[in-house]
Amino acid sequence: MTPRTTPLHAALVITGWIGLGLIAVAVSLAEFIASAPPSATNIGPLLAPPSSDFHFGTDILGRDMLSETLHGLSATVRSALPAMVVALIAGTLFGFVAARLPRGLALTVRSIVGILASLPALLLAILAIGLSTRDWATVAAGLSAAPLTFTRAFDRARLQERSSHAEYARATGISSATLLRRDLVYEFTDTILSSAARALAAVTIILSTVSFLGFGAVPPHRDLGLMIAAAKPYFLHAWWVAAFPALALTTLILFARLAAGLDEGERA
Amino acid sequence: MTRFILREAGKLGLGLLGAVLLAAAIAALSDPRAGGGLWRFLVAWGRTLDGVVHLDFGASAMTGAPALQMLAQRLPLTLGLVAEGFVVALLVGIPIGVLFGAGPARRAAAPLVQVVSAAPIFVAGLALAFLAANVLHWPVPSGQGTPSALMLMPNDAHALQALLLPVLTVGLAGAAAAQLALRRAGAASAHQTWRAQLRRMGLPAWEIETVYGVPEIFAGLLSSLGEVMLALFSAAAVAEWVFNYAGAADLFVKSVALHDWAVAAPVLLAFAGLTMIADFIGRCAAAPLLATGAPP
Repeated sequence: MTPRTTPLHAALVITGWIGLGLIAVAVSLAEFIASAPPSATNIGPLLAPPSSDFHFGTDILGRDMLSETLHGLSATVRSALPAMVVALIAGTLFGFVAARLPRGLALTVRSIVGILASLPALLLAILAIGLSTRDWATVAAGLSAAPLTFTRAFDRARLQERSSHAEYARATGISSATLLRRDLVYEFTDTILSSAARALAAVTIILSTVSFLGFGAVPPHRDLGLMIAAAKPYFLHAWWVAAFPALALTTLILFARLAAGLDEGERA
Repeated sequence: MTRFILREAGKLGLGLLGAVLLAAAIAALSDPRAGGGLWRFLVAWGRTLDGVVHLDFGASAMTGAPALQMLAQRLPLTLGLVAEGFVVALLVGIPIGVLFGAGPARRAAAPLVQVVSAAPIFVAGLALAFLAANVLHWPVPSGQGTPSALMLMPNDAHALQALLLPVLTVGLAGAAAAQLALRRAGAASAHQTWRAQLRRMGLPAWEIETVYGVPEIFAGLLSSLGEVMLALFSAAAVAEWVFNYAGAADLFVKSVALHDWAVAAPVLLAFAGLTMIADFIGRCAAAPLLATGAPP
């Protein structure tokens, strides 16, 4: 995809970062903003709709949905950040370095990761969690998002390696190690923010979905995916128990996508 | 062309071999002799691989039934969902990709498409279920309990309503991938240098588009068939869970939760194999279009 630098695109990227900044503030202050501690029951009547007393309503255990959504958002972000780092290291960094390995070895590694990339990341994450424990869900989410980022970074690095500047550098006697170091610095200073935001969007989708399916957060520590899963039996009659966590989750992913400069519909 | 197909077939063969090795490693975990060191695991892996080659993944640790038999019972439902979702993906994705591919229409639709793209599949599925139940007053299969049967060829209105929700959920995920592939191909085609050259040669715009542009864009969609299938399978896993249907993806989720590796392995192999085959077919089908579409 060719990079776009239109004013609209730049404005969307800035909007994404501002949104992520606001979410970071809300997450940092969740304990102070929320009127109830996480998973505190009988704060209000059961399944009360949104009102002036409970702006997001209450759930089937009388929990304040505004407080729960804030705590859930906080839990989601706190698990997504380490997963994002794993995805960046195992995907982008490893992909970039693997592309500079001797041709045969590089293509072998690319083929192995390509097999993993032909599986839905969600199923890979479920498998990784099943092979370990739910405590490793963040690592599993990061690793399952990595094959796609690996192949992107690998293909980009292969193009760079064959570029004219690389040929000139080699012709002037610059070693492959120096060239790799130099390209890594340029690669990461140029794209680290957009790669991080893209990885954040991808791992947030994976983490919330595995939690929704029962492989992520363990009660009483609820993230947004688990909150939506818990609302599934009665959300048809009490929309607010699922709608607000879903809105918070979608907003987080939307801002991460905008910050990454993703095209509409483009996969994170 | 033949060389291209042979090279792609080689890639497919290698990919399938890797997927078989991976599936055998997962199935080997169900062998009680696999624990207690790397060597024991490798021996169990070899034994399982021999079984896999003979289409024997072992028996389920939960039910005792042969794993492949369980997969054969559940896979048709998932394949049906994916196939019907694929039709929806094309019906929705192609018009969206064509209509909102460029110009003012794209700018107008961009915010909505961004928001829809940001919603995880399970959120989209639940939103569809809510709309169906509260606006259309359809019976919505949700909640916990025994998975329900799903009629892929509905014979009455109720069966059609039950089918539409999971199919739409899967289809919309596929549509997002399809429209993106189309728009990506459209953008790449719009920047081709031969467009200006053909205009200078005096060819009318409609002829440039229909003879050279459309085949190239369609080839772009075909090349992304693997990506679309990946989106469809991922969505099928969630849709089966949200709407409580007993498909292969649901079987995978439950077998991993119960550490029933003999069952999880063939499901994973089936999904990986089907995605790779779709990718292969798409690339091979796109190649002649690209060869004939671009002007000399």
